[in-house]
Amino acid sequence: MTEAVWLVPALPLLGFVVNLFAGRRLGRAAGWLGTLAVGAAAAIAVAVGLDVLAQPAEERTTVVHLFDWIRAGAFTVNVDLRVDQLSVLMILVVTVVGALIHLYAIGYMEGDPRFGRFFAYLNLFVFFMLLLVLAENLLVLYVGWEGVGLCSYLLIGFWFERTAAANAAKKAFVTTRIGDTFMLVGIALVFLRLGSLDLSTVLDPAIEGVQPSGVFTVIALLLFGGAIGKSAQVPLHVWLPDAMEGPTPVSALIHAATMVTAGVYLVVRTHLFFEISGVALIVVLVVGLVTALYAALSALGQDDIKRVLAYSTVSQLGFMFMAAGMRAYSVAMFMLAAHACYKALLFLSAGSVMHGTHDETDLKRMGGLRRRMPWTAGVAVLGALSLAGVFGLAGYFAKDEILVVASETGRTAVWLLGTLGALLSALYIGRLVFLTFLGDARSAEAEHAHESPTVMLVPLVVLAVGAVGLGVLMLDPDTGLVPTFLEPVLGAVPHGSAGVGSAALIVISQVVALGGLGVTWLAYASGRVDWLALRLRAAPLQRFLSQGMHVDDVYASVVVAPAKAGSAFLAYVVDARLVDGIVNAVGRLVQGLAGVGRRVQTGLVRTYALAFLVGALALLVYVGVRA
Amino acid sequence: MTTPIAYFLVVSAALFTIGTVGVMVRRNALVIFMSVELQLNGVNLALVAFSRLHGNLTGQVLTFFSMVVAAAEVVVGLAIIVYVFRRRRTANVDDLAVLRW
Repeated sequence: MTEAVWLVPALPLLGFVVNLFAGRRLGRAAGWLGTLAVGAAAAIAVAVGLDVLAQPAEERTTVVHLFDWIRAGAFTVNVDLRVDQLSVLMILVVTVVGALIHLYAIGYMEGDPRFGRFFAYLNLFVFFMLLLVLAENLLVLYVGWEGVGLCSYLLIGFWFERTAAANAAKKAFVTTRIGDTFMLVGIALVFLRLGSLDLSTVLDPAIEGVQPSGVFTVIALLLFGGAIGKSAQVPLHVWLPDAMEGPTPVSALIHAATMVTAGVYLVVRTHLFFEISGVALIVVLVVGLVTALYAALSALGQDDIKRVLAYSTVSQLGFMFMAAGMRAYSVAMFMLAAHACYKALLFLSAGSVMHGTHDETDLKRMGGLRRRMPWTAGVAVLGALSLAGVFGLAGYFAKDEILVVASETGRTAVWLLGTLGALLSALYIGRLVFLTFLGDARSAEAEHAHESPTVMLVPLVVLAVGAVGLGVLMLDPDTGLVPTFLEPVLGAVPHGSAGVGSAALIVISQVVALGGLGVTWLAYASGRVDWLALRLRAAPLQRFLSQGMHVDDVYASVVVAPAKAGSAFLAYVVDARLVDGIVNAVGRLVQGLAGVGRRVQTGLVRTYALAFLVGALALLVYVGVRA
Repeated sequence: MTTPIAYFLVVSAALFTIGTVGVMVRRNALVIFMSVELQLNGVNLALVAFSRLHGNLTGQVLTFFSMVVAAAEVVVGLAIIVYVFRRRRTANVDDLAVLRW
C-alpha cells in the first residue's frame, strides 16, 4: 500500500485538471468532483498510515521513487516521496481536513460564477501541499512550497473584482516571497556544503561532523526565514490578516489548517540542523514567543470576525514554533493537527455566520445568533473552548504541554509569557464567541440570520469532534499515541524537574483559560458591563491594537516609501537622464560621423575612378617600398 | 634579332596612361568605356611581352582571360549605356550622378 502513496497527491492533481478544463460545464458537480478527489486521497492516506503502523517502529520510513528529474554532474534531483511517521501525520491532516473543507465549500460557494475554478484551485493547492510534505528532496519540497504560495495568491484574490482582494493577494505573495528567497538560498547552501538535497542524506546525524556548526546555523536560519514568511511569523506576519479577503473556505484550508503550518513542518523536518546549531533553536523559540504574544494582543483589537481568527492563527503558529524551539517537536506536530481541527472549525463557523447574515463580518453588528444558528453556535463554542485550552479538549493537550515543557525545562520566562499568551487567547476567542452568538442581535442582518445548509454543517460537526476528541492521541507526552508514533523521527519530548509540579500547572492553565473566558463573558455577554462605552474610553488603545500595532504603517514608511522613492529616482532620473542620455549620445555621435562621411559618395563616376587610381598607386608604392 | 622588352613596355605604358587620362577627363560614357579598353590592352601588351621574355605561357593565357572578360564586360556595359541613353537622353556621366548622398 505504501507504494501507492503517489496516488495521494495524484488524485487532487487529476481533480484540478478536470475542473480546470471542464469546471464550467460540470456546474455543481465540480464541487463534488473536487471533494471526491481529496476524499479518495484521504482514504488512501489512511490506508498508507495503517500500512506504516503495521511495520515495526524502526522500519517505518520508506522512500518511493517516482522518476528522475535533474541530472547534472554531482547535482541530482529525483522526485521521490518520503513516507515516514511525520509525513503520514501531515498527509492525514491535509487530506482529511482538506476534504471536509471542500465539502463545506460546495455549500458556501453555491452560485458563484467561478464555482468550478474555485475547486480547481483548491485541488491544486492540496496537490502542492501534499508534494511539500511528502517530498524526499529539498528542491521538490521547494516546488510544493512555491506551489502552495501560488494557490494562496490565486485563492486570496479569487474575488479579484474587489481591489482589496487583489491587493491582499499581491501582498501575501510578495511578503512570503521574501521568506522564500531566504529559503532558496538555504537550500543552495545545503547542497554546496552538505553535497546533497536528499533528506535521507542530509538529515543523517552523522552529518554533524561534515561542516562547522556555524554553517548549520546559517542554513537553519535561512530555512527558518522561509518558515517565517510562510507561517506568518513576526516580522513577516503582515500578509495573513489581509489574506482574509479570500473566500472563507480558503482561509480555513490555507490560512489556518495547512499552508501556514508548512513552516512548522519545515522546522520540525529539518530539526537536526537547528539542533546542531543550537543558536537557531533559540531564534525559533524567541520568534515564536514574540509572535504568539503580539498576535494575541492584536487579535483583541479586531472587529472583523475573520481578522480575529487570522491573528489568532498567527499567535497559535507562534506557540507551535515555541514548542519546536524547545525541542518538543512532537508537541508542535500535535498542536499543528489539533489547531487544524479547531481553527478550521472556527473559520468555517465564521463562514457559516457570514453565509447566514449576508456577509456580515463586523462583530459589533452581530449578537444573539445562537437562537438563529444553533448548530453553528454550538460547534463554534466547542472550537473556542478547545482553542482557549479548556481541560480535556484537543487544544488543552497541545498548548498545555508546551507550557509544561517550558516550565519543566526551567525556561520560566517562556512559561510566564506563554501563560500570558494563553490568557490572551482565552480573552480574544471569548470576545469573538460572546459577541457573535450571545446577547441580542445588534443589526437587521443578525436579526434575520438563517442556519446554513446541511452540506456545510456536516463538516462543522466532524471538525468539532476532532477539536474536542483529538486529545486522546496526546493524553501523555511520553506514552500518548502521537508522541510514541513520532518518536523515531522526532525524538522524545524533553523533560526536566524545574518549575512547579504538574498538578499546579494544570490548575494554573485552567484558571487562566476559564478566567479569561469568564472575564469576556462578564464584559460582553452578561449585560452588566457597557462594553461599547468602555471601548470608547479606551479608543486609542483599541485603534492601536486593531491596526496590528501599526506594523503595516511602519513598513509603509520604512520599506515601501523609500523603495518607491528609489524606484522613482531610478526610473525618472537614472534611466531617463543617464541611461537614455548615453544611448542617445552614441546615436548622435554616429549620426554626426555619418553626416560627414556620406559626403564621400558624390555619385560622380570620375570621383570613384580617381579614388580607384589613387588606391592602386598607393598599393603600388606600398609594394615597392616593402620590396 | 629580338625587339628589346623596353619598346613593348613603353607602348604598353603609353596605352595605359592614355586610357587612364581618358577615363578621368572625358564625360561621355562611351568614350570612358573605350578608354577603359585602352587600359586593358596596355596591360595585356605588357603581359604578353613579359610572357615572351620569360618563355612562360602564363602571361599569354592570362591575356586571353582578360580579353574574354573585357568582351563580356563590354556587352553588359554597352547595354547599360544604351538603356540609360534611352531613358535619360544623355550619356554624360556628370548628369548621371543620382546615386549619392
